[in-house]
Amino acid sequence: MRPAVSQNLKRRFAQALDLPPSAVLDQAVVQIMGDGQVKIINHKGLVQYTTALVKLRSVQGMIEVGGSELEIASFSAQEITIRGRIVQVMLR
Amino acid sequence: MSSFMWLWWQGYVTVCLRGAGIERVLNRAAQAGVAMVKVERVTSDAVLARMAAEDFRRLRPLLRESANGPRVSASILDRHGLPFLLRKFRRRLFLALGLGLAAAVVVYLSNFVWFIQVTGNETLAVEAIKAAVEDTGLRAGIPRRSMDTRSIERQLLEQLPDLAWVQVKNRGIKVEIQVMERDVEETSAQGAGHVYAKRDGLVTELLVLQGTAQIREGDTVRKDDLLISGMYYDRQGRRQFGAARGIVKARVWYQAVGEASLVRWEARKTGIRHRQYVLTIGPFSIPLGRSYPRETHQITKRSWQLYLGSAMAPLSWTRLDYEEVEWTAEGIPASEAERTAYELAWESLARQGVERDKILEEKRTVEPLTDADGIRVTVQVEVLEDIGQFLGQ
Repeated sequence: MRPAVSQNLKRRFAQALDLPPSAVLDQAVVQIMGDGQVKIINHKGLVQYTTALVKLRSVQGMIEVGGSELEIASFSAQEITIRGRIVQVMLR
Repeated sequence: MSSFMWLWWQGYVTVCLRGAGIERVLNRAAQAGVAMVKVERVTSDAVLARMAAEDFRRLRPLLRESANGPRVSASILDRHGLPFLLRKFRRRLFLALGLGLAAAVVVYLSNFVWFIQVTGNETLAVEAIKAAVEDTGLRAGIPRRSMDTRSIERQLLEQLPDLAWVQVKNRGIKVEIQVMERDVEETSAQGAGHVYAKRDGLVTELLVLQGTAQIREGDTVRKDDLLISGMYYDRQGRRQFGAARGIVKARVWYQAVGEASLVRWEARKTGIRHRQYVLTIGPFSIPLGRSYPRETHQITKRSWQLYLGSAMAPLSWTRLDYEEVEWTAEGIPASEAERTAYELAWESLARQGVERDKILEEKRTVEPLTDADGIRVTVQVEVLEDIGQFLGQ
């Protein structure tokens, strides 16, 4: 339960100071551009990569990007850009 | 600079990662600061990834770390980018020199004008404008720096009075000349002025619509004489100066001469043919083959001009076909020669504005030429016309 308490405190802190939650809580930011590109900032690691599914770990849970002909356009510790025919983006 | 361009600048490798648990290796690499682009899954156990060449060394130990789990192997498939390109050129020195030389030639040639494009003309022919442009010194092949656009614009406006506005734009190796033609109404606008005689004549009829007559019916006037003055007195007796208007009909005489030969020279082809080609690059013409004199040969010319879009490139190819001829003399009856000379004289009169059905009287004089090889016909005609011409002040 400790992480949940800490997250709660951080959220309140961010709200009190009007700070962006993604910066304080280390939450993942998902940017979807049309059906051709998804950019995820603050991910916590790649779990699975196939041409139909890219699964990533994040503070909020597992982020799944489904589609076809998926390709990782760029990959670093903070950021990942996925290109291809995007069909769904899910948070589990 | 985009990340991919930066990778190209520092050199990058395409790496094939093979085995199970490639995702773990990718995560470890990302944590270690190895950024990857264009990561593609090619088979269920292989992934292609692009990374900076120097980062590949940092990837090796990360592979070893995964030795406890499933094994992942990495191999370089290809090398790209500037450092590898330079390394390749070091081995092929002459290719690099050739490329450098070609780039230098292109840069040098870009200092010259190669295309001239004229736009905006409606009634004026492009050829007429281009001829005037050439007279200003602007032609394909001149250095761009030597071009004074303001001076060219001024000279074009002076040479072509039908143009109201000209703009010369220097667009790299292309010069765009944008023109606007003058409205016809603009030139015919009238202000204050007088009516003068445009020809010599004997005044037969005078009608003043505005202004003061300076002549009377029956007067003989010469060209440029003042016929109707723009000065007049209004109803209040005040002196005014306006546009003189009126009709001044006069008997006017025109004369024209036509000459015709009594001998006709006919060219007979001997059947001997020659061909010559001429390659023209900018102001230079390179003939390929011999040329033959015009006196003894009929010449047929055919040209092919290279066009790039609507612009004319300074490259053309011309074919000249020479056909050898022999000239033979044949007599022409005097009556036929006289008819020809008479028609030529009338063509000349028509050019002066005389219409055949409006003449009052015609006199014709026929005389032989001094060398007796031809005849001369002089035609004098009398017509009745309005000789008044308004000239604004």
